[in-house]
Amino acid sequence: MATPGHLTIRNVSKTYSLPGRPLVNVLSRVNLDVEPGAFVTIVGPSGCGKSTLLRLIIGLDDDYKGEIELNDKRIVGTALSRGIVFQDHRLLPWLTLEQNIGLSLENSGWTRAEKDLAVREHIALVGLSGFEKAYPHELSGGMAQRAAIARGLASRPEILLLDEPLGALDALTRIHLQDEIQRIWEVEGVTMILVTHDVEEAVFLSNKVVVMAAKPGSIVETLDIDLPFPRDRADPAFVALKRRILTAMGEDGGKTATRAA
Amino acid sequence: MSHTSDTIEAAAVEAATVDLPAHAEAPGRRGLQLPNLTGFILPFIILVLWQTAATYKWIDPVFLPAPLTVVTAFWKMLTKQKLAFDFLASINIVGQAFIYGSAAALLLGIAAGLSRKVEEFFGPTFDTIRHIPGIAWLPLIVLWLGIGAPAKILVIAKSVFFPVFLNTLQGIRNVEKNYIELAKVLTLTRWQLIRKVILPAAMPSIMVSLRYAAGLAWALVVVAEGLSGLEGLGFLIFRAQGLLLTDQLLVCMVIIGLVGFAIDRSMFLAQKRVLKWKQGYDG
Repeated sequence: MATPGHLTIRNVSKTYSLPGRPLVNVLSRVNLDVEPGAFVTIVGPSGCGKSTLLRLIIGLDDDYKGEIELNDKRIVGTALSRGIVFQDHRLLPWLTLEQNIGLSLENSGWTRAEKDLAVREHIALVGLSGFEKAYPHELSGGMAQRAAIARGLASRPEILLLDEPLGALDALTRIHLQDEIQRIWEVEGVTMILVTHDVEEAVFLSNKVVVMAAKPGSIVETLDIDLPFPRDRADPAFVALKRRILTAMGEDGGKTATRAA
Repeated sequence: MSHTSDTIEAAAVEAATVDLPAHAEAPGRRGLQLPNLTGFILPFIILVLWQTAATYKWIDPVFLPAPLTVVTAFWKMLTKQKLAFDFLASINIVGQAFIYGSAAALLLGIAAGLSRKVEEFFGPTFDTIRHIPGIAWLPLIVLWLGIGAPAKILVIAKSVFFPVFLNTLQGIRNVEKNYIELAKVLTLTRWQLIRKVILPAAMPSIMVSLRYAAGLAWALVVVAEGLSGLEGLGFLIFRAQGLLLTDQLLVCMVIIGLVGFAIDRSMFLAQKRVLKWKQGYDG
């Protein structure tokens, strides 16, 4: 079983410089503490730096100020202890489903049998048993995204990052996969950080919702969601929390807020 | 890949597509089908026209012998002359030239694709050599190596080399950045990245160039043999022209066409097999 990771983000700032333009503050003094086993969702308007923050945590970008620590160890580069699911499923089209998931275990140091077991278990976890030998083009969008989740979890990471994983799916599939993610999170007990545009998704899945604003990208509000799982999207308390988050997104997302609410 | 594992895979995929409502249209090619005859209509029409033209003497038989005369000539060339020998001589040259040319192209193409330094080192030289047609190299190479097979192999290998080299290089350069990023997230080593991500991603482009190069090699052997040497289909064609043996000339042309067709079809099947992961457009 994976040990859930404790993620600490302290005073993280990041700037982009384009020639001939003033510096852009993508992230400004971001502080966030993610308890082991928590489900934290980051919401915010486009350009608030939420995806950039995930890139820093996964280790694809080391150029920032401040500290990011996983279990009190500063993160350096990418590692199998941190998994990610991208918005595009990013399965390699020339590998079958099981080969795609197996690819995340290449450098796990496990034995052949352990790898096979992990692949099988995670295919079962996301409900794709029977499709082991299917190529990505034979899977529907929702199935491909499940496969990507299985790949993200197969190496038993301490933390799983989800970068708008359901953004490209149709509404029905999305709701269905939200249920699945909720179940998987409870079964695996792994720390998860989700980035999304969808406020309802955030309230449905998280212990904690972090609202970010743009220019400069920073955290404007953090809300604990104490509703019991599984959650009812029509529950008045649920709706009230949704409204609070939309209000917190206010300044930049004001119009979206009134329309979506 | 063994045949068994292949059928198992096909069965699983079939099962997968059946279970999946969103995927109602399974890719075709199921069960036994009558061979599609559409492609034979035009050759048949040409043959009929040819026969009619010969029967009514629309064209002087010296310039266009009847189909049956050509078949007789074929039989004569096969039994009394050494058509099979010439045929094998041509096949041998093309086979060797294709293997050497494409092997060198794949090696250097991969090296240049993976390293800008290697590309910069070879770039200007290759771009210059590339623009001198293979046939223009032949006279010099014949001076060096004589009129035997090696000179022709070298010249055709050169012509095979460039399309494969350039497509391999381009195929590698066009690998999606997202996949490289994924490899980084999965902590793949450079070698794993090349083997599992970059080469498979470049494979469609490589396979297209191999197919093209195989056809090109076959077309060039005729020219090369016509220009130098005393054997091969190309030699026979030019000899037939000189001696006004139009029937033999036509025999050679038909063989060249059919072999070219067979080469292209087998390359296409190889391509389909290697790229079976690719969602194809079946028309």
